[in-house]
Amino acid sequence: MRLRRHFDHGDSTGIDLAPMLDFVLNLLIFFIITAVFVKELGLPVARHGGGASGPATGKEAGSISVVVKQGGEVLVDNRLVDVRAVRANVERLHAQKPDWGVMVTAEHDAETGLLVQVIDQVRQGGVENVSFGTSSE
Amino acid sequence: MRSHRHAAHGEEETGIDLAPMLDFVLNLLIFFIITTSFVREAGVTVARPEADTAFHAESGNILIAIRPNGEVWMDRRQVDLREVRPLIERLHIERPEDTVVVIADKAAKSGLLAQVMDEVKLGGIKEVAIGAGSTGGQ
Repeated sequence: MRLRRHFDHGDSTGIDLAPMLDFVLNLLIFFIITAVFVKELGLPVARHGGGASGPATGKEAGSISVVVKQGGEVLVDNRLVDVRAVRANVERLHAQKPDWGVMVTAEHDAETGLLVQVIDQVRQGGVENVSFGTSSE
Repeated sequence: MRSHRHAAHGEEETGIDLAPMLDFVLNLLIFFIITTSFVREAGVTVARPEADTAFHAESGNILIAIRPNGEVWMDRRQVDLREVRPLIERLHIERPEDTVVVIADKAAKSGLLAQVMDEVKLGGIKEVAIGAGSTGGQ
């Protein structure tokens, strides 16, 4: 408003704002079009061991071992459990050893869907420190 | 410009004042510049596994998709597993704050997922998440 008043009295000696406005509008349209508001959902997991050196038997120092077999079986602490029971088992073990993380070891041909379900269950069980590796078999 | 002239010479203050609009447009512009993130899309759709505890990865904007048949897609094209590392290295140099989300199909093999994650880490990006859809429950 002040700028405008200045223009009126100075009789068109001020800076012409129209080209700038055009430019800014073009920029605005560009950013509106390219803006992507979709954020990916993800589960953050650490990675332990390489393919060959991965501890297939679990039991690294200080971690709860969860093994996902290629046939769909899930072993928590070397006991066969249902996928939906992983949470309860992890909660129990986590209560016993609160400072331990969970190591999820998947067989090479195990399906990712099951793996993610297991990791999800572990995280629901209250353990944030999840690492993931594959067994060499 | 025309409306301005009109206001200056003709009746006083009858033209539309552009200054508030310009302020508003500039604010919008700044908002979009700040919020824009150039996501590197994978280029294929996969049946992503569902997880209740999945959350929005912070600036997770390099997407790598793994299809059930073992194809790896990145940056809208199919890549070989061995190409992932140099591609990640290049992207990491361009924008060091980027993180990676590996979206594996439900039926994809865990072994391949692990290999892709390893390649990404070797490429220099330590923040890797496994992509998941929300079940909508929580």
